[in-house]
Amino acid sequence: MKISTKLKKGDHLALSKLKKGCRAKVISIHTIDKALRRRLLDMGITEGVQVKLKKIAPLGDPIDIELRGYELCLRKADLDLIEVEVIS
Amino acid sequence: MRIALVGNQNSGKTTLFNLLTGTNQKVGNWPGVTVERKVGFIRNTDYEIIDLPGIYSLSPYTLEENISRNFLFEEQVDLILNIIDATSIERSLYLTTQLLELKIPVIIALNMMDIADKRGIKFDLGTLEKRLDTTILPISALKKTNVFNLIQTIKQGDYRRNLYQHIYDHDLENTISQLEERVDTKHSRFLAVKMIERDPLFISHATEETDFIIDELEKKYFRDLEQIVADERYRYIELIRDEAVEAKRDMMTTTDRLDQIFLNRYLAIPIFMVIMFGIYYLAAGPIGSWTVDMVGTGVEFVSEWMTTFLTNVNASPWSISLVVDGMIAGVGAILNFLPQLIILFLLISILETTGYMARISFFLDRVFQKVGLSGKSLIPFIIGSGCSVPAIMSARTINDETEKKMTIMLTPFIPCSAKLPIITLFAGYFFGDRSGFVSASLYFLAIFIILLSAYVMKNVLFKGKTSSFILELPEYKLPSLRYIIYDVFSKAWAFIVRAGSVILVASIIIWFLLSFDFRMTYGIAVDDSMLAWFGKLISWIFYPMLGEMSWAASISAIQGLVAKEQVVGSMAIIAGYTSDVSEARLIFTSGIFGFFTASSAYAFMVFNLFSAPCFGAIGAMRQELGTTKRMWKAVLFQTGLAWVLAVLVFQIGRLIEVIL
Repeated sequence: MKISTKLKKGDHLALSKLKKGCRAKVISIHTIDKALRRRLLDMGITEGVQVKLKKIAPLGDPIDIELRGYELCLRKADLDLIEVEVIS
Repeated sequence: MRIALVGNQNSGKTTLFNLLTGTNQKVGNWPGVTVERKVGFIRNTDYEIIDLPGIYSLSPYTLEENISRNFLFEEQVDLILNIIDATSIERSLYLTTQLLELKIPVIIALNMMDIADKRGIKFDLGTLEKRLDTTILPISALKKTNVFNLIQTIKQGDYRRNLYQHIYDHDLENTISQLEERVDTKHSRFLAVKMIERDPLFISHATEETDFIIDELEKKYFRDLEQIVADERYRYIELIRDEAVEAKRDMMTTTDRLDQIFLNRYLAIPIFMVIMFGIYYLAAGPIGSWTVDMVGTGVEFVSEWMTTFLTNVNASPWSISLVVDGMIAGVGAILNFLPQLIILFLLISILETTGYMARISFFLDRVFQKVGLSGKSLIPFIIGSGCSVPAIMSARTINDETEKKMTIMLTPFIPCSAKLPIITLFAGYFFGDRSGFVSASLYFLAIFIILLSAYVMKNVLFKGKTSSFILELPEYKLPSLRYIIYDVFSKAWAFIVRAGSVILVASIIIWFLLSFDFRMTYGIAVDDSMLAWFGKLISWIFYPMLGEMSWAASISAIQGLVAKEQVVGSMAIIAGYTSDVSEARLIFTSGIFGFFTASSAYAFMVFNLFSAPCFGAIGAMRQELGTTKRMWKAVLFQTGLAWVLAVLVFQIGRLIEVIL
């Protein structure tokens, strides 16, 4: 059986697993560290916000996402804890 | 009147501050250039304006945000000038919603309007003003558009006073009003919100009653209140955005196109290597050396002319010696290197203002993360090739405490501009045509040692710690020529001033110690001088890296503590004294330094590069590390490592020399 790795609209996954150029909506933030969680909220990563995976660093980490009209770089480990729903 | 200038990182705050006050503070194109607050006065007024560090929020978790919010909360501020990047208005307004809660009048300077225009972002300013109940002025600090109007508005007091604010939903607003009635401060709404967020720094204001009110609210939402508040702020901002901002979406910007090259999977790192190699090759390689020779000839001329002049006016031999062998030899040896430093300052300044620095942090974070540093450590390292003092200060933007401390301890390893004279002198003489590569090799050695030390520290001292990395990628910008000229000039001027003050005094002292013995007799053999006596006390320390008990090299190395370039100044004085040498290049033809070989030269460079930095940088480390004990640890670590490395280099180098 062949398993398709292609992301479909409506799929739920960690933001770090999103493909380059994909758009998604943030569902929930599972970050435990209080300071980091607050920082993510401050930078506009709130529930429901639309993000787009824009650039991946040449060595695969960190990842640059676009949201609210600007670009933000985060490490994969931190993006692992942000759950999103694929839009396109 | 007291005005606080507040805004996000990289929103152009310092550029605006410089325009308003007519001063020239450091600007750059990466987030976090301003790490301390700066005070000035608006031109031709007595309005005091305070440039606070760039912040995204008034949360309690970072140092910069704490500086800013303590200032706003506790001190008397009459007006907040909130500068906003028009190209990322949503994120910028998030901070604004918090500032408005302080109930201090806010004027919004909507900056970078020129770029917003180009990108087709349109604002309905009337609606924005009404919704936020503040005065908004579109400006461009870089192009100096509309800044005059801004000053006029402030002067005439012709702005809204933002008295009415309702941005949250019904339940939240209700709770805020209830709490407001129960706290006693001029910033009651701000405090009420902080209490709801359960901000640890305002816990002392809580009472049983307020706790009960907040618990009730939490039961209604069933979620973390800090998140509710943030969600609500952004919900309100989205509302305003839909009403008053019109933006084209998904445009391919110039920045995106440039990033396709500079952040390309295969090209990014080669491009970076070429850029860095190019910078150091130009500054420390053949072109740099050529300029050193040019100035050297000039200094020689002045020296000869001065000797003739002083002899003609019948000056005593010791006074001629003081001026020619002490002052001119010492200061001249340093000034030789001015043109090549200008090349270095110019290239770094361009690098800082274009926005490429943030990219370097971004794509090298992976490597630095492996050894326990952050991609942001790169910024101090690159600034450090100019001067360690601002470099150590810039480490403040690193979020994680451990990464920050390690960066501060390792930054002085980067060869700063004052170490460049040492490198050029030794590499130029001993490695001739390959001097450019030898200079560059020292920079790469420095980076390698930094990575290695960090890796060891991480695994020994700070085991098992994880950290995060948050960085905003700024747009690429063409550097402003005016600013770059100013920046390079002021750095070069600082170097000249140091040569004319610290180095001059040090040169006179060295000359004195070299000319007299302990019985104060003049005209003795240098070996009997006081300086030789001091040097002999410590020359055994340097024996394993020089292969020679040289008091002259030892005493010169120690003077690196005053200023690294003083090592060269001191060597020039001692060499000039013992033989007829007036040009820095010829130091090694004198008997006293004739023992240097390629391997001891490289070892001596390595020692001077990695050992304790100058007093200025040690002071900066003390300030940023927080305690004198940590400072001592850092200094001992640096010097110990330098000694071991230098000895290794010499012993291995000598082996190779024997084999060849």
